[in-house]
Amino acid sequence: VTAPYLVVGAGASGLGCAAALAQRHPVELVERIPVAGGEAGWRTAEIQALRVAAESRGVRLRLGCAALRWQPGRLLIAGPGRIEWIAGSTLFFAGGLRPGTAAELGLSGDRPAGVLPATVALHLLDSGARLWSRVAIVGNGPWAGQLAAAVQATGGRAVSVCRSRGSRPWADACVDQARGFEVVGRDRVRALRVDTPTGVQELGCDAVLLAGSPQPVRNVTGALDQDDDAVTFVQSLDGRSVAERARLGREAATTWLRQNGETR
Amino acid sequence: VQQARDFDVVIVGAGVLGAAVAARLSGTDARVCVLEAETDVAEHASKGNAGVAVSYYGAPDTQQTRLINASSPGWELLCRRLDVPFRRLGGLMIALTPDEADRLGPTRDEALGCGVRAELLSAAEAFAVEPLISPDCLAAIHLPQEGVIDPLRLTVAYARLAVRNGVRLRLGKRVVAIEPESGQQSTVITDRGRLRTRFVVNAAGVGAARISALAGGEPITSWPRKGQYVVLDRSFGERLRSIVFSTHTPDTKGSNVVPTTHGSVLLGPTAHDHDDADDRATDPATIDVILANARKLVPATASAQPIKTFAANRPAGDEAHRLRIDARNPRLVHVTDRSAGVSISPAAAELVLELLRKAGLDAADRPDAADSLPAVPRLRTAEDPTALTTLDPLYGQVVCACEQVSAAEIQRAFDEPVPATSMDGVRKRTGAGYGRCQGSLCLAGISFLTGMGTHTGPGSVRQTARGTVGS
Repeated sequence: VTAPYLVVGAGASGLGCAAALAQRHPVELVERIPVAGGEAGWRTAEIQALRVAAESRGVRLRLGCAALRWQPGRLLIAGPGRIEWIAGSTLFFAGGLRPGTAAELGLSGDRPAGVLPATVALHLLDSGARLWSRVAIVGNGPWAGQLAAAVQATGGRAVSVCRSRGSRPWADACVDQARGFEVVGRDRVRALRVDTPTGVQELGCDAVLLAGSPQPVRNVTGALDQDDDAVTFVQSLDGRSVAERARLGREAATTWLRQNGETR
Repeated sequence: VQQARDFDVVIVGAGVLGAAVAARLSGTDARVCVLEAETDVAEHASKGNAGVAVSYYGAPDTQQTRLINASSPGWELLCRRLDVPFRRLGGLMIALTPDEADRLGPTRDEALGCGVRAELLSAAEAFAVEPLISPDCLAAIHLPQEGVIDPLRLTVAYARLAVRNGVRLRLGKRVVAIEPESGQQSTVITDRGRLRTRFVVNAAGVGAARISALAGGEPITSWPRKGQYVVLDRSFGERLRSIVFSTHTPDTKGSNVVPTTHGSVLLGPTAHDHDDADDRATDPATIDVILANARKLVPATASAQPIKTFAANRPAGDEAHRLRIDARNPRLVHVTDRSAGVSISPAAAELVLELLRKAGLDAADRPDAADSLPAVPRLRTAEDPTALTTLDPLYGQVVCACEQVSAAEIQRAFDEPVPATSMDGVRKRTGAGYGRCQGSLCLAGISFLTGMGTHTGPGSVRQTARGTVGS
């Protein structure tokens, strides 16, 4: 029996990658949450078509399983009620994207409550509860606009703060060309001090939400960073649409197949 | 008027020393209460420190050195009993200049004088111990007994053992007055009630001077010393084998590069004396200095990803170490240490009990007292993780994917004694949110579980010991 190729992450990239690999080899696709789709959600026809395409090529989906440890030839996965090693000769990693951390954004100052990653804030606002009245959104990653809308929908105001310049029509106010960010507040955040070419601005706020440039999620022990024959990082930072990300995933797979002599 | 409760000993402060004393006293029949101003144990210096259980810190023939000597050999056993991560990695103190190299000899002699294993190494020998040290290394001292420990888990474990044995732990209660009564009693008044006690143990860290003054004790001159730190990602931590120290100068112990028990690497601390114990802000200039110092010791840190910066205040003052019966109040015992609180904690707790007995506390050891805690298996470190779901199916539910923390472990953080009271409290007890994504994926889940565990909703759930998620 040939050990399958393993793909981690059933978002658009992972689905595209898995489908392309499956034309040459058995593939198992491991996904942390119980549905396929990743960032794009599971409901859209586009994602469902990608899933059907992968499955029709024989990709085996393991949904609701978090990938934990990679060792040559096997991957440790954990799902509700079951933790197991599954065999695989090669790991393709498409674990999605996350916003930059406070350290990556260069935030300094206090570390009070009320400073949260954009992805977390979006989840919390999903409940519809009004959590904050004035937020500072740092960075212009793909979460920023959606987050501002969620804050505004609960009656709050969203100020966008960026290192670059550019139009952010979704924000109630913008601060551009920021050179540094200092969080102010001992217990809860009460302001963000922004160093700009025209001086330091102190933005009063009750939350600082981190929406920096997307970073690839990589968290499998044994496959944290090294890109080699056995581990390939598929997740691209480019590709704003589902179709584009799926295409980039397919390309990563075909490139790998070509380089590893698996083309017919 | 509420009836004041009677205790034999009230411990002020639930940092590592206060909690260690509580754990030790819990093995006796003394009635003990711990008062902590914060809403969780292990805030302040016990939260923000390098996590090194030192074998050698300073001159021989001091009480601090005796306590380090008495504590150091026992870490493996104690940490196994208390389910605390500990690794005796050994440390390298490296000299990068001829001047520093000249100081290594006397430093090695001092360490030997303390009864500690310490060996002078050539540069080549030092590289064999830790290949990542700077090529500018001229010579080094190897201190094989140095260890790294999780100071948060240690403090929580001490507190849990104490509570398990019947010690009362009162969180969120700040001492505002200590009034002598007739006889051998004092009344300790907090912002939320009062209690009566025979003895007070002052383990208030940066607040020790205030507590001594309230108790009519000796004047203590102390001030907060702020230290800033940088945490580097575990992909670098996987490569580093040893703790790397700069050569001590007469004024400072310098900076450290410390592999943590979580697999990350900690840089720091800096030392900045100021007067605001609540100021825990980091600044970019100091962070740059930390990174530059680390690059001098271990150049490969330059390519490592910083995942977090933080700061904490340690209690500096006229005496860096104070553990004795107060000079004025014979029923007050001080236990504070600027930098070695973790490293002295087991023996310091023993000595505090001895002093309390000398001062008249009648406390017999209780043979039925627990001296260990049930170990919580951890998904990330379990030898056979596939067996965990038979213990609890929730082990299969991964909440923090970077640090590989399961819902089972997080549930335990709320079910055990000294439960988490905030999302930060979950991180202290489980490591969830410590990792490279700093909670981008998991904090929503952790806030939900914390809301369930503390019976509150998404806005009022505590993110830190002091602040809520919502405003």
